[in-house]
Amino acid sequence: MSYSDIDPEVVQWVEMLRSPDLSDRLVAAKALQHLGDEDAIEGLIAVLNDESPMVQEIAVTALWEMANPVAITPLLGCLDSSHSEAVRNEALSALKELVSPDDLLKLLDTIQIDDENMQLNVLVLLRKIHDAQALPYILPFFESENPLLREASVVTLRYLNQVVRCEPALALAKDPNDEVRRSAILTLGHLSDEAVTPILCDVIAQDSDWQVRRNAAQSLDLLAAKAAAPALTQALADDHWQVRKFVARALQKVATDEAIPSLVKALSDEYSDVRRDAAIALGNIGNPDVLPALQQTLDDPDRDVQIFSQRAIQKIQDQMAETSHA
Amino acid sequence: MALTTQRVDVPVIVDESKCLEKCTACIEVCPLDVLVKNPETGKAYMKYDECWFCLPCEKECPTNAITVQIPFLLR
Repeated sequence: MSYSDIDPEVVQWVEMLRSPDLSDRLVAAKALQHLGDEDAIEGLIAVLNDESPMVQEIAVTALWEMANPVAITPLLGCLDSSHSEAVRNEALSALKELVSPDDLLKLLDTIQIDDENMQLNVLVLLRKIHDAQALPYILPFFESENPLLREASVVTLRYLNQVVRCEPALALAKDPNDEVRRSAILTLGHLSDEAVTPILCDVIAQDSDWQVRRNAAQSLDLLAAKAAAPALTQALADDHWQVRKFVARALQKVATDEAIPSLVKALSDEYSDVRRDAAIALGNIGNPDVLPALQQTLDDPDRDVQIFSQRAIQKIQDQMAETSHA
Repeated sequence: MALTTQRVDVPVIVDESKCLEKCTACIEVCPLDVLVKNPETGKAYMKYDECWFCLPCEKECPTNAITVQIPFLLR
């Protein structure tokens, strides 16, 4: 397209983008952002490699607002270590909105570039696409020396559709880095591998980090595996209330009569969330022996606990009535 | 004696050392049109104290020259 076809105001600003004066380039980039004219895209793409990170950032924002797919490849180039952190973050935010499943191959090519920031950002973008074709490209990062890459890759695994087994991810449950273990354990909850439940039971009993144990309880809640009930029952005595809360929640799906003593004890927990979830779990077990314990919680200082205890009592009484009718 | 170079009794404070003379980004985005250029210095300033504290001026400034001081009770 020649300049004669373009709005003269846009031409003036695009030319100013090439000025040696930084303030001129800043003003021009900002003006083009506000104009939002697609004819400026080429000029804005050119300044993505401007010597000033401030100009680069405005150009990224402008291209983001124009939302033209032409800008995807140049914006991917802004994710590498040669750009400032602010520019990388802005480009990542832009690409999160712009990438579509059609860009999968482009992303898979880019992730092979030997640049850790680039790889980290592309791992985040792959979460938007959910395509299981990305799995072989993600696996090598599980063994990366950089814990950020290990964590990002195991989180991305969680977002891939149709992936139900991934043996290499199981090893990350024993990663030396707390953050990696926290993410890995949450990801395991989305896999349906038989090996996952024993690992999560082991983690909930032994991991030194309470957030890892809490995440293990969340994953066991998702999996709802009956085999986890004994480990969950033991974990109801965890030192951290967040762990106890999610353990009680997980027990709502899998608890049997063996869990009753621990759950009744949890009805007098210091934290009301734990008391409430324990009351719900007891209601789901449906054993009439727990009615006196539940009735005592009807005057709990927390209104939530009172309501859910009442519902649990009602549920058990309904079940009793049904069995007596039958 | 140190002299103040900015008005600090209005909520939108412009750091004149960072404000670009040719730039009008903040003036264009202000929904109340309370920001103007000082014709002598070419720097932006808040002419009318009727700010909504909506913050686009602060966000759009390419050099981060603008600070909007949000009153304590609105934070």
